[in-house]
Amino acid sequence: MENTSDIRQLNEKIHQASAFVDLLNLELSKVIVGQRYMVERLLIGLLAGGHVLLEGVPGLAKTLSIKSLSSAINAKFSRIQFTPDLLPADVVGTMIYNQQKNEFVVRRGPIFANFILADEINRAPAKVQSALLEAMQERQITIGDTTFKLDDPFLVLATQNPIEQEGTYMLPEAQVDRFMLKVTIGYPTKEEELHIIRQNLNPQATATINPVVQPSDIITARKLVREVYMDEKIERYILDIVFATRNPEDYKLQKLKPLISYGGSPRASISLALAAKAYAFTKRRGYVIPEDVRSICFDVMRHRVGLTYEAEAENVTSENILSEILNAVEVP
Amino acid sequence: MVKPIIIKRLIFFFLLGFGLAPFISSAQQVDVNAQADTDRIRLGEQVRLRLSASMPPQGMNVVFPQIPDSFGHFEVVRRSPLDTTAQGNTKLLGQTIVLTSFDSGRWDIPALRFDLVSAGNITDSAFTGPLSIDVNTVDVDTTKAFKPIKAVRTVGWSFWDYWLYFAIGITVLLVAIGLIVYFRSKPKKAAPVPVVAVVPPYEIALQQLQQLKSEKVWQQGDIKQYYTRLTDILRNYFEQQFNIPALEQTSEELLQHIKPVTILNQQRDKLRSLLSLADLAKFAKMTPSPEEHEGAMQHAQEIVEWTKPAVEKAAAAEAGKEETKQPVK
Repeated sequence: MENTSDIRQLNEKIHQASAFVDLLNLELSKVIVGQRYMVERLLIGLLAGGHVLLEGVPGLAKTLSIKSLSSAINAKFSRIQFTPDLLPADVVGTMIYNQQKNEFVVRRGPIFANFILADEINRAPAKVQSALLEAMQERQITIGDTTFKLDDPFLVLATQNPIEQEGTYMLPEAQVDRFMLKVTIGYPTKEEELHIIRQNLNPQATATINPVVQPSDIITARKLVREVYMDEKIERYILDIVFATRNPEDYKLQKLKPLISYGGSPRASISLALAAKAYAFTKRRGYVIPEDVRSICFDVMRHRVGLTYEAEAENVTSENILSEILNAVEVP
Repeated sequence: MVKPIIIKRLIFFFLLGFGLAPFISSAQQVDVNAQADTDRIRLGEQVRLRLSASMPPQGMNVVFPQIPDSFGHFEVVRRSPLDTTAQGNTKLLGQTIVLTSFDSGRWDIPALRFDLVSAGNITDSAFTGPLSIDVNTVDVDTTKAFKPIKAVRTVGWSFWDYWLYFAIGITVLLVAIGLIVYFRSKPKKAAPVPVVAVVPPYEIALQQLQQLKSEKVWQQGDIKQYYTRLTDILRNYFEQQFNIPALEQTSEELLQHIKPVTILNQQRDKLRSLLSLADLAKFAKMTPSPEEHEGAMQHAQEIVEWTKPAVEKAAAAEAGKEETKQPVK
């Protein structure tokens, strides 16, 4: 087979550069049982430079996953538990008066880390949420007169509890859109849970995560992810999916029209393309195929499709709508 | 002196009387009259007012009074046209006006004026006498208690109220029966059944593959187009022949979905290598070798050919049963 030289080289380069993905997965599997889907999405978020919103009940190894990931990458990790009385300064940091020096000094908040776990983000009021989300977007923090650039790689993993909605502050649509992925995680299987019990109760279990990747490798990989080849056919396929969420009637999906209040934004198209490239990278490929788009589509789009009251009344979820769309849009 | 004055006055009165004589006589020849059929009604009841005029048959005419639709406490319900009858040497004109009133009391119908017309000019007028009509309310016995409103009274059913509907219904029924009998008894012409040649999907797929081959698409350097069309032909074939929504599935999904279709699953490896090669050509800018182009076409043809006997068998079975439309398994 003869290859176009650029693609061939790129493919080989990516094949070599993405070798750490397998190493990372292997290392994480020492402490995390199951939840491969979540770990895979965390990696995609990390490689694509997008943040991840995680929805799942407590006790599903969310904290363990991100903590293990940061250990495996030799990166700094911090966890912020969002509560109703949390203040923006508790997240980003503040100026403190130093009596000895007779001056104000900056005290950095927990956001100054590579991996942030924003636990139960919907429990904090809007001003705290926007402080975090602004930092996520700008990747810098201003305290007093000084602007600090955040560490690179910087990944926020925010969690939302789908139950106990009372007394919470739901993230507005515009802010949810800033998360590249919204991942819904479920319970482990019976076998996996049995393994989890044994692993946790075994007194000899001393599995520790060793750093197998350096943050600089992740930064290099991020650059390579953007170089992954995406054919025009794939770009058009992504556009078809996003446009179908806006104008379903153009794709013979008139029945979806009354169920969708708003469709994906251009940021959705960008995120879907970037996430598909990152997915291809994790599969050690230098080009994107339709499978990559479909695999990541639900996680990129589920929080970007607004449902009408009619849809909610009929228990139609954004996943149902996306399934219909994927089954109607022709694959290139 | 007195006598000549008296004589002059007598002559003046004689001449005056002689001059007015024709007019006086004409007025006396016309007789007008207004007569009500009753002088007592209850609120809303009707009274018939008959206006009549009698006159000589020739040389004179009468203009009846113009009665407005509402006058005094009366309202005109309807008025009859003017009728003319001859009675001996007298012409009789008459009109009946039906009046009603919704105000209680004693109300007058005033004297009505008839104009006498002679030679096109009104020469005189004649008046009827005034009439009085008592309009009474319903007597209420206040000593008795209030009574509820009477219930709706059911009118008895009568065939003659509906005979027209019955007649129309029976006529329509008879016409319908007649038409049915007519068309059934009419000898039928054997309508020529157009013979539509149904081309089975595998034939279409093979034709399209042959067409693609003959167009020499890859030889002209359009590799992406070649593999796009090649896979589209196969996907369309799977969709039409096996009811697999192949056009909306990725290569991996398609390979998963052919599993239940045994005949296709037997060609799984061939299909996998073809789809993988096509994906590389379509999405990774790869240029397969000429042997691989030919091989892909050969694989596609072999897959279609492989399914052909099973499809034919299924079609024959379907024709025998004329029922099942299950995809070939």
